[in-house]
Amino acid sequence: MCSQYLNANEILEKLRRTIIEGIPEDAIDLVNKSLEAKVDPKQILNDAILKGAEEVGLKYENGEFFLADMLLAADAINDSMDIIRPKLKEGKQETMGKVLIGTPEGDLHDIGKSLIIALLNGRGVDVIDLGVDIPPEEFLDAAKKENPDVIGLSGLLTVSISKMIETVMLLKDEGIKAKIIVGGGILSEESCKKINADAWAKDGWEGVKKIIKLLEGE
Amino acid sequence: MPYDWDASRKRIIGTFFGTNKIDRVPYFPLACEEIICRITGKTYREIIASPKNYANAAITTFEFLKADTISIPTAYAGPGEALAFAEANNKKESIKWFDYKVFMAKQGVICKTEEDIDKLEIPDHRKISVWDTSISAIEIINKKIGMGGLCLGIWSVVQELRGVQAYRDMRRNPDLLLKLCEKVYESQMDILNFYREKVGGVGIIFFTGYSFNKHMMSFEDAMKFEGQFIKRIQKETKAGIILHNCGTTPYFNEVCDEIDLLAVNGSHPLNIEYWVNFKEKFPNVTIIGANIDVSRELLNGSPQDVENKVKENIKNLATGGKYVVGPICCLPWGVSLKNIMTIPKAIKKWGTYPLNFN
Repeated sequence: MCSQYLNANEILEKLRRTIIEGIPEDAIDLVNKSLEAKVDPKQILNDAILKGAEEVGLKYENGEFFLADMLLAADAINDSMDIIRPKLKEGKQETMGKVLIGTPEGDLHDIGKSLIIALLNGRGVDVIDLGVDIPPEEFLDAAKKENPDVIGLSGLLTVSISKMIETVMLLKDEGIKAKIIVGGGILSEESCKKINADAWAKDGWEGVKKIIKLLEGE
Repeated sequence: MPYDWDASRKRIIGTFFGTNKIDRVPYFPLACEEIICRITGKTYREIIASPKNYANAAITTFEFLKADTISIPTAYAGPGEALAFAEANNKKESIKWFDYKVFMAKQGVICKTEEDIDKLEIPDHRKISVWDTSISAIEIINKKIGMGGLCLGIWSVVQELRGVQAYRDMRRNPDLLLKLCEKVYESQMDILNFYREKVGGVGIIFFTGYSFNKHMMSFEDAMKFEGQFIKRIQKETKAGIILHNCGTTPYFNEVCDEIDLLAVNGSHPLNIEYWVNFKEKFPNVTIIGANIDVSRELLNGSPQDVENKVKENIKNLATGGKYVVGPICCLPWGVSLKNIMTIPKAIKKWGTYPLNFN
């Protein structure tokens, strides 16, 4: 737990490490301590939460971290964000954009999707989770209603490929302007091009990075 | 002319055990319920309605595909086991049925809480209709064409029961997770015993080792939460284990250093050099698949692309045997039949011994 004698910078540093270690209870405590110490919520986000998230991603890429570590870090990020999000809104901090995400019809898996949602939330992205087993028409209705910047389709099973293709085709045919990213080991760069999706990610972490790029207009 | 399953059996046994000379490289497609429905034109409920229906549908499908192996995919340690646990624990509502493919469990619903894991009842598979039908269908197939086989797995079931929470448990409550793994193991043993009662001894086990992949967990964790159980199953059955992993970064080299496997079944890495090196390092382990991935040439390519991929695999891996062509994972609905049927043609063309690539 955090000592009351730490200064603001020390609290932020400790929060960054707590995010990396993936201890949500301590992260909550440290975010509250930071706010008590009058640290700007934007500084908490940038200097502790996002820096921690970045390091978690690097550790995953280097093979030091695995899915379990990523999920716990994502939990710590999410719990921290729950506290500072209202404060950021008070300060009119703009979101990075809006992402609509779901697992296509016929597939009930959601591990990759859960990770993406948690990490995007941590980046200040508005994420609408449609859930699992989502028919193409439901993706379309949600896209029309929510007007997202990016739509993500995540799947695990090879049997989901056809529904994923159907969903992307429907969204494109209906003139949905959002960028579409498809994800999961079942697909490939070639499949992505063939079905006219805008990006493909092999796993959750790559999905987060590519969605951020799409939101940044790259 | 009846399908020559006797020749297929000789190819498979000769490849795995080197006991006899084989005429050509065998073919082992992973045909799930979806493609059985597609080829027979029946719904999944029609197929699973009786052992006879299921056995006939499987035989029709695998003969159509010109395969050298046959399987009853519902007797698989994923959704099938989730359904067994759901029924044994009064959680049938967690299972969703589909018309043209296998049912699935809502992830993590059956073992949502610690109490769910503590109180989890091990299913008696003889009393679960889907399992009785599936194992009885294997019995029919075994009597009819002399082929059988069992599919087991640990992590594939854990994921179905506990969902994403299993990964949090791995760090925060590994003892609880191990308790769940033990219960799944006990259930797998029940399937094994049921199989022994109905079909007989188990020579080969197809093990869905979903943990053995870097994008899931570390190799140490994979051994802790799944590998140790493979060793126990091996000790208990003395069966040859085929380790299946359809992820993108499998631990095939690492696991073969730890566990004596009969074969590995994967489609990644895509670099054929990995597989050439694997064959060199583990000459007694049969490779089923290598880099024939259903979401690449089969889904997007032409028949010529598929033939080239099959040829590449045979050319690099089939010399001296110990290689089986097998696209991975399950053949999905969107793959054209033209591409699918190119595989057996390409095997006949390029995989007939003595191999000749001119």
